[in-house]
Amino acid sequence: MSRWEYFVKRLLLTVPVLFSVLTFLFIMLRAGPIDPVAARLGPQAGAADRAQLRERLGLNDPLWEQYVDFITDFITFNFGQSWVVQAERDILDIAVNAAPATLWLGFWAILLPLFIGIPLGFYAGLNPNTLGDYTASLGGIVWQALPNFWLCVIALAVLRRTRNGGGPFGFDWYAFGPDFASRNISITGTPNLEWFSTTDILMFPVPYVSDWTALAIDVKLILPPAIILGSASMAAELRIGRTAMLETVNSKFVETAKAKGVTDRVIVWKHIFRNALIPLLPVITSEAFLLIGGSVIVEQIFNINGLGRIFFQALTQGDLPMAGALLFLFTLIILGLNILQDFLYTVIDPRVGYEQ
Amino acid sequence: MSTTQSDSTDGLEEPDDDKLFRDRVRENPRPAMAWLAGLAFLLLLEIGRVFAGVGQAFGIVGFTVELLASVPTSVGDNVAGTLGSAAGFVATAVTAVLMAFAVTVPVAGSVPDGAVDVLGLDLSRRGRRWAKRAELTFVLVAAAGLVAYTPVGGAFSALIGAITGGVDALAASLPSITSRDLIPNTGHRLPEGGWEGTFLGLSPATAWAIRTGLVFAYATTALVWLWRGFDVYRTHYRLADWTPRDDTVRRFRNNYWGLFGFAIVFLFVVMALWAPAVSPVEAQHNIYEPNSHEFQYLSEDGEVTSTTHVFANLQSRSDGQNTIGPMSYDDYDRWAPLGTTNRGQDMMTHLSYGARTSLVIGLTAIGLGALIAVVLSLLSSYYKGVTDIVTVMASDTIQAVPALLLIMLVSVVFQEANHPIAQPLDGGLLLALIFAFAYWPGMWRSIRGPSLQVSEQEWVDAAKSYGQTPLQTMRKHMAPYIAGYILIYGSLLIGAVIISTAALTFLGLGINPPTPEWGRLIDGGQSYVATDSWHVATIPGIAIVLVVIAFNALGDAIRDAIDPEADVDESEAAATGGGA
Repeated sequence: MSRWEYFVKRLLLTVPVLFSVLTFLFIMLRAGPIDPVAARLGPQAGAADRAQLRERLGLNDPLWEQYVDFITDFITFNFGQSWVVQAERDILDIAVNAAPATLWLGFWAILLPLFIGIPLGFYAGLNPNTLGDYTASLGGIVWQALPNFWLCVIALAVLRRTRNGGGPFGFDWYAFGPDFASRNISITGTPNLEWFSTTDILMFPVPYVSDWTALAIDVKLILPPAIILGSASMAAELRIGRTAMLETVNSKFVETAKAKGVTDRVIVWKHIFRNALIPLLPVITSEAFLLIGGSVIVEQIFNINGLGRIFFQALTQGDLPMAGALLFLFTLIILGLNILQDFLYTVIDPRVGYEQ
Repeated sequence: MSTTQSDSTDGLEEPDDDKLFRDRVRENPRPAMAWLAGLAFLLLLEIGRVFAGVGQAFGIVGFTVELLASVPTSVGDNVAGTLGSAAGFVATAVTAVLMAFAVTVPVAGSVPDGAVDVLGLDLSRRGRRWAKRAELTFVLVAAAGLVAYTPVGGAFSALIGAITGGVDALAASLPSITSRDLIPNTGHRLPEGGWEGTFLGLSPATAWAIRTGLVFAYATTALVWLWRGFDVYRTHYRLADWTPRDDTVRRFRNNYWGLFGFAIVFLFVVMALWAPAVSPVEAQHNIYEPNSHEFQYLSEDGEVTSTTHVFANLQSRSDGQNTIGPMSYDDYDRWAPLGTTNRGQDMMTHLSYGARTSLVIGLTAIGLGALIAVVLSLLSSYYKGVTDIVTVMASDTIQAVPALLLIMLVSVVFQEANHPIAQPLDGGLLLALIFAFAYWPGMWRSIRGPSLQVSEQEWVDAAKSYGQTPLQTMRKHMAPYIAGYILIYGSLLIGAVIISTAALTFLGLGINPPTPEWGRLIDGGQSYVATDSWHVATIPGIAIVLVVIAFNALGDAIRDAIDPEADVDESEAAATGGGA
């Protein structure tokens, strides 16, 4: 099987998966143990109201008709309106409004671990069985076991404590960088993302940073949650980076390069570093799973009005259609990322698909 | 433990040696007798708890049976709702027969041939097998029908009730060395100094320390004795001088990181199993029904007064203004080794019962998930083709949905609907089932490669051509090779389950009060981290971190011990918990 055939096969397999996810959602939301009418109206509602809503939601139709309607609605992104969280607003509208904050969080949550985890892992792999290696590895193990929600709670308490120079060495998170105390903003909250404007260059709108202070504020707001959200991936990158480095260091081509008399710096950067990056690719792409799952917790604790927090509110306030719609959107993102990962692999690594 | 496990397989594995394990014991009974006597003595010391455990096991089995028994009627009711009562009845019957048949498939092999010969049919080997299953299904359905629709059922449930009642009565009356009655630590100060009602008049703190120390000493002794049992078996009763398992054990014993993990996991398990003994106050009094239990204390004006736990809890909250920190007494002479929670309940009691909750959920979820994964991997690698594709599709579907969000949604849907499954452990069982549902695809994927490899081996072909049934081939010739892998992934995933359970409870979507859970403690203490009541959120957090590190270390050590060369990618398993 050629690698492109393999890729197309993976692509085709996504379609039935999408349908079975939709079927699952349908069973959970409509045919499951919960009665949609009771969930919406509450137990005290009168019989007339119930019957009316039943009719309006189409619950009196035959099951297969409901199923077809459900699937067509979801595939055309026609999710309907939110019930409770932001009542009578279009669900898609709510999601689009909440997405930028989550994207901003996700961007930093992927970026930070990359620049902390991988260098640490490579350092540990280059100096195996030294004190630095043990410290980095142990740190990775502990870091991975730390529950995000607990880290959030502790981090918030510690950061709040530094107010007015209460931290070690007079450190004050409020005054660090853009001053939050004098601007009277909380260290938790939704980033505005209003620091860029667009200008037309040759008729095309090009974004540029118009307000550096606002950018700094948004970065500072997102930094603690992003580090925590990325913590598990950071640990994974550290460990896998270490192993990859160790394996590459001991490989034949490095030995050859050494024998040729290539300098150590060139060996490390050109021969070892690049090859050690390959096994890290899937780790980086699979971070999306963690970020989407973890965003619910982190956004809830740090008061960021992103997709995760809205999903959580939809669940706790009984807004099931909205929760279902958001879950579907998340699934679409993940399926898209899976395809992207397969595509990248097919392009980068010619070995994929041959042994199947 | 190991002796009882290996006796049946040993006989089968060594067909040329006609001496069975039983015969070898009979020839040289001394070491076995000595070991068994020690075991009996250990069990006798804790006989009350042993019976309590048996009673609980009865309860679990009873609940499971009841739940399964309700499946046919609920399916029938659903069908009857749309298609009419006749169709409903048919659906009930069909479901019942299908379920009975599923039960017979693994056990039909042990039915003697004579049972089929009675029918007087001329059957092929395959036909004989199916006939056995059909007969057994018929017997099962008939028995179930008798219990469900005739007065026999009443007598049957009366019998069960008598047995469980007897066990419970025994559990309550028999003594245990670590019991609260033997070493009581709840008492009150006397006006003239000293304590009333505690063990030997010692302070509650000392009495509690003695009891907890005794628990851990007992548990360690039991562990050592089990290890000795393995040694006795190895030196006296095993045929081979050496097996690969010896090397596995040796590698594990030399892995200090793994031993550290094992030690912490052992502490955690002991704390969970002996939760009633390690907790300084009774959970029933302090957490579940604080209204209806009174106790006595020495009030400030020097008189012994009595009050209820609910009132005392209100006065001993650790909520920033008011703190009962670790290693201190509250104003009601109650010893709080880890302080109190934000609601004034005892933290140590919460922590130990919370360990129980976590352990039950983790083991149920991973056990069930691993079972599904192993069965499906065996089926899909044995039959390949359509079975394989369907399994791939199912696992892809579940993996396409972000696990934590999927678990949240399903948990909310069932809890909102007040489904009976959401009742046990205040949602704990439901959570365990959802975890099993969400995590089996990951486990299946990780053992798919090894099981496909095994299915290509010549011995599997040989077994097939000798006419072994598919079930036997899978069980005897394929499953043992996958067992190691699933053990590794299971122990790595338990950490993820514990973290996720705590995270969900923290968010208020997991386990509802009053069942203790660590995540709820962190939720309760989150506003007080920077105050004097810092311990409320910190102690359970550290406990989670320690237990998760320990399970990860244990999983790594098991992997290294089973197969040091194994190329097992743990990133997927370990990463699952990271989302929380």
